[in-house]
Amino acid sequence: MSLLLRVVIYLPVLFLIALVVVGQHHSTAAATIRGAVQRTVRWAVWSACLVAVMLLLELLFIGF
Amino acid sequence: MSTPNQNLAARGLGLGPFLTGFVPGLLQFQLGQKQRALVAFASCTALFFLGWIIVGDRLFYWALVETTGGSTWSLPAHFGLLPSFPEILNFPANALGALMAWDGTPTGERITRLPQAFEHLAAWLTGASGMLAAFWSAAGHWELRLRRDGDENTPKPVANPALCAALSWLVPGLGHAKAGQKDKGVLMGIAVLLVFAIGLIASGGHAVDRANASVWWIGQNLFGGGSLFAALVTGPWPMDSEPLDLPMGVVLTTVAGLMNLVVMVDAYTVAERSALPLPAAVAAEVSA
Repeated sequence: MSLLLRVVIYLPVLFLIALVVVGQHHSTAAATIRGAVQRTVRWAVWSACLVAVMLLLELLFIGF
Repeated sequence: MSTPNQNLAARGLGLGPFLTGFVPGLLQFQLGQKQRALVAFASCTALFFLGWIIVGDRLFYWALVETTGGSTWSLPAHFGLLPSFPEILNFPANALGALMAWDGTPTGERITRLPQAFEHLAAWLTGASGMLAAFWSAAGHWELRLRRDGDENTPKPVANPALCAALSWLVPGLGHAKAGQKDKGVLMGIAVLLVFAIGLIASGGHAVDRANASVWWIGQNLFGGGSLFAALVTGPWPMDSEPLDLPMGVVLTTVAGLMNLVVMVDAYTVAERSALPLPAAVAAEVSA
């Protein structure tokens, strides 16, 4: 339950953080939202890569 | 077209003004703003001792160091040098409070562990005194920057940058509205509020609690309005049932505080650049 909850919350929170980070470089809300969507996609891909690498390390050093 | 002075934007003001900023009002006093200096010192000191008379010795139980049992911090504690954040930003009041509170005897140590009535609110007030001291310091730094980099052609800023940062501390995005970026302020404010609210809901309201998670609280308090709400409403709640996910709640509320730090700095920058804009070449590089 806890893991599922965290997975469900992860992406929306990532987007909200991106809004604040990207907002520093724009002066309007519309431009900020556009930038935040792109940034969220990029961060989500990096997150997926990180999880994949961690799973791979687990398989290599701990096994199934 | 930028003036050579505007290229000094990234140059700091030096260690002297930085250290002076730890004494509320001292920068204003040096700048010849005697009335402002008095207001700054009085407001920060009053806020600190308003909380201190309730929470007393216990405030320093939440300091970042251990002062009991022959710790290396016992001696500095004797001289009022206790790193409790953000109170230490109001250095004189923090030192005086520590001097009056510190008692190395076993009885004194027991008192610091004893929960006090209204300690959530009192802890917020002493913390707010440190944040207020930081905003007065920012106001002094802004004045110094204007005198160094500005000239007779420099326009007035849309609002005082330090005031914008302080407003954002209480209500995320309000500083942007004051600085003229209302829609962006609303968007950033909603983002901070949502992350903070998700954290509070996931933790059943127990995520923001200085008494039990004092180190996390330092980050959470960067959203002053949120930590005030928690101090008044959710902090005193007894933990009757198991929260949905307490660790996640603590992390999310701290992330919201850190997000608000970015919002505060951005609100300051927006107001600052209305008077001292970036040189055209640098601005183009930043927006690229």
